Amino acid sequence: MIVTLIVFTVALILSLVFIYYAITEKDLLKAAVFSAGQSVSYAILLHTMAAPDIAMTYLAVSVGLYSALLVFVISKTERYEE
Amino acid sequence: MEGFVYVLFIVVLAVNALLSIYGIVYRRSLVKKLISLTILSDTVFVSIILVGFIFKYPVVPPVYSGVGGEEAYLLEHGSDPLPQALVLTGIVIGLAVNALIAFGVIQVYRLTGTTDAKRAIRVLVEEVMEE
Amino acid sequence: MSRRTIGLIVLLVGVVSIALTTFIVFNPEAPKSVRELGKYYIANTTRDVSSPEAVTAIVWDYRGLDTIYETVVLYMAIVGGLAISTTTRKVSLKTRTGLTSIARTGTRIIVLLIATIAFAIALHGHLTPGGGFPGGSALAITVMLIVPVYTLQSLLDQGVSSTRLIAVRGLALTALGLVAILPVIKGLEAVTNLKFYPSHVAGMLISGSLWFYNLFEFLAVASGFAAVALYLSIPEEVYREEIKGGE
Repeated sequence: MIVTLIVFTVALILSLVFIYYAITEKDLLKAAVFSAGQSVSYAILLHTMAAPDIAMTYLAVSVGLYSALLVFVISKTERYEE
Repeated sequence: MEGFVYVLFIVVLAVNALLSIYGIVYRRSLVKKLISLTILSDTVFVSIILVGFIFKYPVVPPVYSGVGGEEAYLLEHGSDPLPQALVLTGIVIGLAVNALIAFGVIQVYRLTGTTDAKRAIRVLVEEVMEE
Repeated sequence: MSRRTIGLIVLLVGVVSIALTTFIVFNPEAPKSVRELGKYYIANTTRDVSSPEAVTAIVWDYRGLDTIYETVVLYMAIVGGLAISTTTRKVSLKTRTGLTSIARTGTRIIVLLIATIAFAIALHGHLTPGGGFPGGSALAITVMLIVPVYTLQSLLDQGVSSTRLIAVRGLALTALGLVAILPVIKGLEAVTNLKFYPSHVAGMLISGSLWFYNLFEFLAVASGFAAVALYLSIPEEVYREEIKGGE
């Protein structure tokens, strides 16, 4: 049980750090990479919470499809915010 | 010990949601708003799954493995399958809406030449006012 | 240190202190047992649906109508993307080269592995966690990987064009609707499972309509998102000429 609680705490704090860096970053490509990092830490959280179906779906959608979609959109519009 | 991790869960998820709402309202780039929207919906999904989680050891997903006589064990130690099914539907619908918003952002850039929200609205309104 | 790092440290200290204070003042109990509705689903899934996986049984049998509507919503989103990306003239792409041979060899191995895993996740969805939707997304990722490494022109030369992918998606959605509506012919309600479809085929557990739903949803999602990836790869000069030609 103690290992599960440690994994929870580490994954939660990591997700908070990634979200803060993603929202306050001016370079949009770096923000997309931080968003992918936040998705990985949420996937670790979801697997430890005994929901393997959701972890598989979330990993494929958020790390795979959203990152690719954001890179396509950034390459067609501007890279730096304001 | 489990109580502290439960409270930490709730506080960190609330702070994540507030940070992403700040990102939607106060950041001016449309792509940054899209990123913050995905973060907000992901945080809500994790908090829904938290409702169906039990703080026991060991906890297993609600899947039978084909070896007989498991029903009593799964009723004691399995997690709740209903919130997981609802979140699966939610992830698919979120993906559809975000893909549509991404196409919308590209089209706004083609028509006005900028992805800054205030400047894009001003350019579009001026075009309408000229006619 | 920059302002961002100071802000992050203040945020972390604040979060941990709020959590400690709330824990010490209120002393809450973490939940230790599942609700009654969850226990009903876990106890009855083998008898009602003949599938040992409770989550897939809820998604496609107990609450099957919700999932059919969610598939329709996904279809509408892809139609919206198609409407923005249409061009009046045929697209002719200049010759591009793609990446080096190291990237190509690595991509070949990775694409084969991902395709195998995607088929396994989708077709085995009534026995293990997974199902139609994660398998479809994983197969769509392979197309998004092929487009920068080998160029878009190589995919079009192989005959994989976006119109054909949309046609595949339409066929898969028609088949899904047929599987849902077929029980109405015998007088049952739509989206019934075990009263109409067999639960075992040639000795293998197939859980009635769950296997067919997983297969058609896999094909529909994979072809839909592959078509979206192909639309997004058309270069911007085509659309700049479109908008200039319209004014």
